[in-house]
This record gives sequence, structure tokens and C-alpha cells, in this order.
Amino acid sequence: MQQMEFKVKWGMVIDLDKCTGCGACSVACRAENNIPPMVDASNKLRTTDWMNIYELNNGKAFPHFEVAYLPRPCMQCGKPSCSTVCPVVATTKDEEGGIVSQVYPRCIGCRYCMAACPYHARYFNWFDPVWPEGMEKTLTPYVSARPRGVVEKCTFCHHRYNAAKEQARQNGTDPLDLPEDAYIPACVEACPSGAMVFGNLNNPEHRVSKLAATKYAFRLLVRLGTDPQVYYYSKRDWVRQLGDNYLQKELKGGEHV
Amino acid sequence: MGLDRRSFVALVAGGVVGSLATPVVWKTLDDISIWSQNWPWIPRLRYGEESLVPSLCKLGEGAYGVQVKLVAGHPVAAYGNPEHPLSLGGICPLGAASVQLLYSPARVKNPKKRVNGAFVDISWDEAEALLAEQLKAAGAEVALVSGDDTGTAAEVLAGLVAALGSQESYFMPSEGAAAAAAVGLLGGDGLVGYDVEGANFLLLLGADALGSSGTMLRNAKAVAAGREQGVRVVAVGPVLTATAAVADAWVPCKPGTEGMVAMALASLIVESRPDGKVPGLADFRKQVAAFAPDKVAAATGVPVETLRSLAKELLSASKPLVVPGTAAGQGMAVSDAAAALAVNVLLDRVNVPGGVMLLPWGPKVVAAAPDQKTMLARDVLGYLAKVAAGTTSAPKVLLVHGANPAYALPDLKTAQAALAKAGFVVALSSFMDETAAMAHLILPDSLTYERYDDAYTPYGSGQANYTVAAPILKQPLFATKAAADVALSVAARLGKELGFASFEEVLKAKAEALGADFETAATGSVWLGSEFVPQKLSLAKVPAPGAPHGSETTVVAVAQPKIGSTKIATPPFGTNGISPRELQGKDMVVAMNKTTAAKLGVRAGDAVTLSGAGGECRARVRVFEGVVDGAVMAPMGLGHTAWDAFSRGKGANVFQILSAQADVGGASRFATSPVGVRKA
Repeated sequence: MQQMEFKVKWGMVIDLDKCTGCGACSVACRAENNIPPMVDASNKLRTTDWMNIYELNNGKAFPHFEVAYLPRPCMQCGKPSCSTVCPVVATTKDEEGGIVSQVYPRCIGCRYCMAACPYHARYFNWFDPVWPEGMEKTLTPYVSARPRGVVEKCTFCHHRYNAAKEQARQNGTDPLDLPEDAYIPACVEACPSGAMVFGNLNNPEHRVSKLAATKYAFRLLVRLGTDPQVYYYSKRDWVRQLGDNYLQKELKGGEHV
Repeated sequence: MGLDRRSFVALVAGGVVGSLATPVVWKTLDDISIWSQNWPWIPRLRYGEESLVPSLCKLGEGAYGVQVKLVAGHPVAAYGNPEHPLSLGGICPLGAASVQLLYSPARVKNPKKRVNGAFVDISWDEAEALLAEQLKAAGAEVALVSGDDTGTAAEVLAGLVAALGSQESYFMPSEGAAAAAAVGLLGGDGLVGYDVEGANFLLLLGADALGSSGTMLRNAKAVAAGREQGVRVVAVGPVLTATAAVADAWVPCKPGTEGMVAMALASLIVESRPDGKVPGLADFRKQVAAFAPDKVAAATGVPVETLRSLAKELLSASKPLVVPGTAAGQGMAVSDAAAALAVNVLLDRVNVPGGVMLLPWGPKVVAAAPDQKTMLARDVLGYLAKVAAGTTSAPKVLLVHGANPAYALPDLKTAQAALAKAGFVVALSSFMDETAAMAHLILPDSLTYERYDDAYTPYGSGQANYTVAAPILKQPLFATKAAADVALSVAARLGKELGFASFEEVLKAKAEALGADFETAATGSVWLGSEFVPQKLSLAKVPAPGAPHGSETTVVAVAQPKIGSTKIATPPFGTNGISPRELQGKDMVVAMNKTTAAKLGVRAGDAVTLSGAGGECRARVRVFEGVVDGAVMAPMGLGHTAWDAFSRGKGANVFQILSAQADVGGASRFATSPVGVRKA
């Protein structure tokens, strides 16, 4: 598959040695993107969490046991598995910035993209969204409410990208050369642990590209060739090894291409 | 001229190609795709001018500054406040869900009184008249339980209670109160804070300092920033908390033995510094002799070598800091806090950069009210136990403010019995919580975004600070009223003037007493104090710390803001954060390691009954190696019976099985307590 090249490639580095799994990113995402509250979310089969948090562990017995928390937004893959299978061009990767789009009105709910996404980053609206009486007044003006039958996912708070570009144009600066932190998604803003860093992976000055270039950075399931734009970071070998399906004898792990 | 087959095909094909060339088909498809998703029951978005206004989040155990996004004057989202020293841009899961809580189905929308067992809506005038009448009849037999230990609202309410002649005003239990009591034991005086930013070796004795304890957002930011400078964090405790998960090392210890670990470290430090000149050292030497590492290693489960290496790290670090606490964020033993403070004193880490900071008490502005120190020193558990037992007369009127004692106290049945004995329970609560559900009168408090609110130096702050939040909404969404304003109004009805006409005036006086400018404070500028109370701490009377429970299994309660707090049940926007690690179906999930599970004869997924001194609850077993042998880790914040569908009937309330055990000076500890486990 041909991969589009972008001048600007938004990306994230999540430091798993700092994340405490508190869940603030996930709630902030829900509020920002108008994901309706769910009365019973203990059954994770039909819930919607653009930012889902997984618990990893090193598999050892007490007291040598360790855990790490892994927040999982959409990976905004360089070679997305989802957009190639969409029959109605509802999800594409064709805009400068390298964010995989999701156009709700186009989506016909076939869910091919969900089957294709190896990261389980996509969610299907099994039901029409319901807010408790009055709570719909707290909807943000950024993301329209999605009806039943539509697939949705994290968009790196694309509306914030638009706002930052608009601001740059007003300031007379280049909207394709945004300074660091001019645009960050709601999750990164909320994170109290300083675990999430966001920026332009193609800008060597941005912290995100420096961190992504270190030997402690890794991506999930890179062997599938999806080329994700979300990097994880850990100095712990076992955490990096869990980033892909490594064989027992492959001790290095966590290498990214 | 006939239409032959060839021209028919050409016509049809031409027609199809021709129609595709027009926009009609595409426009129609586009319209169908849009309008087939555009149903009247899908809410529309509201647009308008956007602004950010500062406010406070006091939904958890602490308080910190937030910014609320307004769109056309309506709040839509809460963000962290980069300008606030306790947020530094971060927000907790409760704060992130706070705007939506304004419309929580659990909100009490108008005053209610109980008539024949059911609530009846009444007007504010009627409600205040009823309260005034009840208070008049009660005389001095009035009591207050408040959960707002940083705000002035509690001072106003305690002022009313004191003006009526009662001294029975209490705060809910907190780590801050236990830490302040420990300072008192060592001859000091002040609110306790930690200069986390300045420390380069952080030894957390039980404290989940980045997850739920103290100024957790600021702590997390400080530790994240410090990592690059080589700051080391070691977490000691019975369970792998959020903090322990990201600490450089987790040192497991048996439940309730963090104080003994502190004493063992103290004994090693004393040993290595024979010429120490700390007041009271001679007596302290005798005290710590009983806690030499080889003596406590077995009891605490921490190997002698580990204790030695920790002591060595404390001695070699230029700015070490020991922070006591519990995974529950409350129920810490005062003696454990005293032992940790003793280590800090030995290392000369009090009121120095990167050390324990003893901060001035908040000024009192309501003349009749007890001062903050007095209020914080009072023991609500002891009081309620005496009321339940009948050794103290039950109050004729019990005011409950910003607290949920019918849900969030150990020995829960005792607390509930005490509440049931009170003649007339008044819940000044924003939500239909368990206490409101059993109250005789509910006077719904407005939420912070709808009224004035303030916070003075939450526990753990590195320096004194004062934040004022002005109302974001011009008027409350429902017929609610600020609890402090209700207190002022009722005081006036009773002729017991408290000296202020409104809560706003009280806050103005408070700001003035601190030397802060109210107008700037109300626009989000935080007042910061630079004063530290000079201390003469002595180690002469450091008490023996809490001992292991001596039971085969011990429950370790773990607070996680994503599930809720002692004040707030899981908010509507919080349900997704609860994972199968905490809740499966309707069952609370408790974690234990393989060894413990084998010993108890249970397997992962088994339903079990946990029995504590005060009651029982049901749970499912999760095998998780991040728990010390013999401990059962249980999430707090589940098992609500009131509130709304987002939290009601989910899991069990761990307070049902937590019981308080006596500690020094009449205080008690309850973060961990003995529990029996059997298959359900």
C-alpha cells in the first residue's frame, strides 16, 4: 500500500513509567468529545472509550511483580488498516497532520474498520446516545453527537488542531508550523502525571520527536506494518517487550522501525 | 423508427452515465447520509463565545484549582489550572467529570422534608423555618459533621452550632488530621505539608501520594519533573498502589506496619549518628531499641537488608523526605504518622526546602466558631461510637455538611446507628447520598460552580495557600442554596447573629485576615503564604507505632478517584473508568496473591464473603501479585445504595468490613483491618 507523506505528523509519546492509570485522560476525552455517559460500563463489550486504559504486568510472582498502565488512544497509523477497508470513504488518512479522520455522516456501520483495527481503537454505537436530563446542555460545541449505527474513534481532538491552525492564521504565522503545545488533545492536557507528550513527529525540535527517537520508545504491534504515530516509552524491558508479539527467545523487544 | 436492442442499451447506459455526471445523485446520497443520522432525539450542539473561568474542585479528599470552559455562558468542560499550585494543569478524574455532575440525576433539586417516611418538596422559607424551629427546640443538643475541612463553609456551620451552645462539631476523618495530631505528639503545631518539589529522595510509607493522597496532582507533576533530575521514589506498603506502580521500587510490608518500618529506619539512623543533637533523643533511643531491623523484619515482612538499604539511602540523599499515609487516603494511625515524622526530624527535614513543612492554621473569622486546629483534633468516630452506645446523649439535631457519614465511616453499622439515634438529621448535601436518604430534612447545597467556595491549604501543600472560587453560574441551576448562607440565615432567624450577612462577606473577611486581596483571589489568583511555623520538635514522646493486625487475613482499602471519593459516588462520566479489576457485573472485585488465594482455598473468579468486625460483604476474587501475603485489596467507592443508576447497586461498600482500632490518644486507624474470607 502506498503511504502518504505529510509535512506535519502529529504524534504522542506516553511514558508508561509515569502513568498511574488514574483515568483523568479518559474522562477528559469523554467530556471533550461528547461521548455519552454509560449507566453500566462494567461489561466492556459495548462501551465506548476512545481512550482506554489497560493494565500490563511482568508476569512474575509476588514480590517481584510489577505493573504498568497503558492508555490507548487511536494510533493514527501511517498505514491504517481501517481506512483501506472502509467501503464508503468514511475514514481516511489524507489530511496534512496525518490524523486518521472519521466522518460520522458517511459511516454506514458495517464495522469492517473495527475488525481491521489491531488496536481495538474503534467503537460502534450500539445505541442512540442518551444524556441524563439536562446533561446534554454540557455538550461541547466541538464534536457532534453520533447516532446509533455509527463507528467512532479518537481523532487526536482534531477540532483543537483546526482551532490552533485558525489561531496561527490570525496571528499571521504558518499554520503548518505550529509551536510546541499550541495544539494538544484533551487527554494530554488533563494528564496530571506528565506521562503524555504531544507534538509534531516531523519537527525535530518538538519533545515528542526527541522522545520517539530514544531507545526506550516503542510502538504497539509494529510488525504488522501499521506505522503508528503513538509511541510508548519505558525504561523497563518487560514493558517494551509487551509492545509486540515477541518470541520467547527474542530478548530485546520494543525495537521500532 | 423502432427502438432496437442496441439503441436501447445505449440509451440506458447513456442515461446512467449522464446522471452520474450531474450532482443530483451525489447530492442525494450526501443528504441521505446526513439526514438519516439527524434525528430529533440526537441532541444538537450549542455554539457561542468561549471563555475559561477559574474555580475549585473539592470533590475528592483534597482541593485544587480548575478552569471551566464556558460556551455562551454555559459550562461544558473542566480542565486543570496551570496557574494553580495544586493543579499545575493537571486534573483528577472527578474534576474532569465535575461539570456534568451539575446535571447528575442524583442531585437534590429543592429542599425536602420527610413526612411519613417519604420525602416531600418544600420551599426554602419553609425549610429554614423548620430547621430554626428544630434548633430552637434542641437547645444545645446539636451536632455537626462536615467533610469540608479546607473550606470556610464548615466554619460558619460550626459557628452556628457553637452559638447554640454545643461543641459537637466534627470533620470526617482525614490523613491531614492524623498528620497534624502526630505533629502535636512531638510537641509541634501546625498544618502538615510536604515540599515534594524540593525533595530528591521520596520515601512514601504507605502514602499513595500520586494516586489519592494529599496534593496528588501536584505530587505527580513534581515527581514527573524530578525524574529527569534523578529524584528517586520508593513506595512502602501492603499493595501495589498507583504510586507504587510508577515508583522506582515497591517495598511490600504487611498491612498496618508502615510505622514499624519507620521506627526500624529511625533505629538505623540513630545508630549511624551517635552524636545526634535532636531534643529528646535519649528517650527516643530507648523507644527505637525495640524496633531494631532484626526485631521487626518478620513482623513487617520487610527484610533486614532492605531496611538497611533504605536507611542508607535516607542518610546519603541530600534532601530526603518521608511521607506517611495509607492506600485508603484516610484511616492512618497517628502513631504511624508520628514515627514517620520522627525519621524526618532525625534527618533534620522539618521546615527546610524539600522537607516536611509545618504551616500556619487557617485564620478564624466567625467569632463563635471553634478554630481549625480544635475542629481537626476532634474525633468523629469516637463521638458517633459513644452516641450509638448511649454513653453520650444523641444530638436532637444533627447537621451533616459535605459529608456522607452513612456510607463513608468504618464500623459503618455503628455510625448508621448513631445517625438513626439523632432526633432530627439535616443533610446539607448536593446529592441524594446515603446520609440524605436517611435524613429528616434535606437542604440541598449548591455545587462549587454555582456559589462561592474556598480552600485553605489542603493537606500536603508545600506552602500555605488560599483559593477563592466565585460562582460561575449567575444563579444555581436548581432551587439549591449554599450551606453557609443557609446557616447564616437560620442563625439570624434564631437571633444568634454570626456577624455576617452572606457567605461572600465571610470569605472577604477570611481573605483580609490572611492579607489576601479578595477581588484578585475571586478572579482565580491564589494567595500563597511564605510563613512556616517555627518548631521545637522533640522525640521524647514518640509513641509505639501500630502493630500488625495479628489476623490471618487483612483487608487493605484502596481509594481511587476514578471510582469516587468519600463525598462523591461514581459520577456519570466515571463509570467507564471502573475496570473488571474493580467490578465484575454487580460484584466488587478484591485482589489477593496466589499464596493467599491458595491458603484460603479460593480461585480467581470465585465469589467470596468478606467478614469484618462490623459486617460482611460479597466480592469476587482476582489473583493479583501486587498484594502482600495475607492481604486482600479492596477498592473503595463502590456499593452505593442511594445516588443514581450510575453508582447504585454496583459492588459492595468496603466500609462495611473496615473497623477502627484504637491508636494513641483516643485516635483510631482503619485503613486496614482484620477480615475473614470464605466462599460465598
